[in-house]
Amino acid sequence: MSPLLEVRDLYKHYKKSGGWLNREYKKALMPISFDLHQGETLAFVGEAGSGRSTLAQILSGAKARSGGQILLEGQDLQSQNRKQRSQLIRMIFQDPSTSLNPRRRIGNQLEEPLLFNTDAGPEQRQERVIQSLTRVGLLPEHADFYPHMLAHGQRQRVAIARALMLEPKILVADEAFSGLDTSLRAQCVNLMLSLQKELGLAYILMSHDLGLVRHMSDRVIVMKRGKVVEQGDTQAVFEHPQHSYTKRLLEEQFLQIRR
Amino acid sequence: MQLLDIRNLTIELDTPQGRFPALERFSIKLAEGEIHALVGESGSGKSLLAKAVLGITDRRTHVRADRLNWRGQNMLAMSAKERRTLMGQEIAMIFQEPASCLDPGARIGTQLLEAMPKMKELPWWRRRSQRRALAIKLLHKVGLKEHRSIMREFPWDLTDGEAHKVMLAMALAHKPQLIIADEPTTGLESSDQAKIFRLLDKMNKLNGVAILFISHDLKAVARWADRISVLYCGQLMESGRSKKLLEHTRHPYTEALLQSALTPGSSRARKSELPALRGGIPPLQHLPVGCRLGPRCPYARRECVKPPVIRSQSGHAYRCHFPLGEDKENNG
Repeated sequence: MSPLLEVRDLYKHYKKSGGWLNREYKKALMPISFDLHQGETLAFVGEAGSGRSTLAQILSGAKARSGGQILLEGQDLQSQNRKQRSQLIRMIFQDPSTSLNPRRRIGNQLEEPLLFNTDAGPEQRQERVIQSLTRVGLLPEHADFYPHMLAHGQRQRVAIARALMLEPKILVADEAFSGLDTSLRAQCVNLMLSLQKELGLAYILMSHDLGLVRHMSDRVIVMKRGKVVEQGDTQAVFEHPQHSYTKRLLEEQFLQIRR
Repeated sequence: MQLLDIRNLTIELDTPQGRFPALERFSIKLAEGEIHALVGESGSGKSLLAKAVLGITDRRTHVRADRLNWRGQNMLAMSAKERRTLMGQEIAMIFQEPASCLDPGARIGTQLLEAMPKMKELPWWRRRSQRRALAIKLLHKVGLKEHRSIMREFPWDLTDGEAHKVMLAMALAHKPQLIIADEPTTGLESSDQAKIFRLLDKMNKLNGVAILFISHDLKAVARWADRISVLYCGQLMESGRSKKLLEHTRHPYTEALLQSALTPGSSRARKSELPALRGGIPPLQHLPVGCRLGPRCPYARRECVKPPVIRSQSGHAYRCHFPLGEDKENNG
């Protein structure tokens, strides 16, 4: 089976200083290549400055890449083609209370991606909104609510519903669960896993919580300062880490739990 | 002697809908050199408790208590000025987001020197240099080696981890007997988290500082704390020695917190469904009658509409009609 998403030598540089001749670059993301298959979860692990957020932003189209190739189902994904990208790759942000518009009803916000990207009529849109709300475990009545009327866990569900509106193939979750309370986080993780099973979604998960990564992901890529340090099957990497950086990351999380 | 002795502390909040209790009849005793962890999700009133102990509540909070004693002195009878000096010198607090607690308009050095003790015992011409020396010493102690550049910087130049350590250095300036740490590790990188844990642990071991550790993550504090209190919606759910609480969990809520936690070394099957409590945390205005956990509890029965009372067995207290271990004993 050919991979859903192929990334080939993708990199991102920022101009740091200098003129035309002695230009210096900050290498936020070194050339990186990976594949993502349908129904698979790929996790990126690393500390701040490891380049995972940059990668998430490039994949979701919020930032332009400096070079490299992104192939979606064998098709080259253009940097500028927002329409093609926005339908297939969607993002879930860290904090739903800031990523949702506080002045618009949930229904309107969910409708928006359909309005911009499809030619569905009002009834059809309404139907899709209700469908995706029920899919994430909310009621159709929630469409008339404003974000502040919902609890934090429900808001994250709305964020997931909004990401699912265009029936994407890939969801990018950048620290999507780190702000949630323990019991609500478990609910959201369950929801994401059941959606994956149901719809065959592929997830790209960025997290510093290795417990979450272990539970949700099939493969993991460990990054340090924009470079890939180690990659492989999650279980294998966590049980037998090869690189000293991975070992350190794992030890630090264990340290807190086992004393 | 008990360092901190709180009995039946009730904190009420004024909201547009009326006055609601955010924390109800909460009791805690903290001995010298003890680490006590307060665990609860958002809205459980744990941060309010810390503020009530320090006496920095705002106008819409009302604090009542049968006893609120600091080393035998009644804190509720103290004047605001007395409590203020107590807060600076004997109780130190590390706030939730340290980066936002620093004054953005002043350099770190200025703010740090301001927090140093007055050193009235020294002649006036030596005080300044001694305070500076102490500030540098504390920075080194918390693991910031380059004091020169750090002190010249503004708060927004620092990373979260550095800001945290600066706050910790300020907290340690007066050699406090109690440090109240309100979620000191949330939002930090795992390496910084480990450093903060290590530092607090060192303070506790070497200087005998008592720590009241407020956290939302039961697993993270479990092995570290001597005693744990689990809060939910303003009520104490379970409290006891941490080892006992973990091994003989009595309350369904504690069990749920332990089960839904994810650890890198857990043996749970990958991508399996996690045991999670149903529903969300009820808001303050719509607390359920009877047991606060009732509507979300997987073991709820008809009797749970009556509010349960705290029962205690050799220092292990829990608030549940049908505690977990007991159930098995009765049936089998």
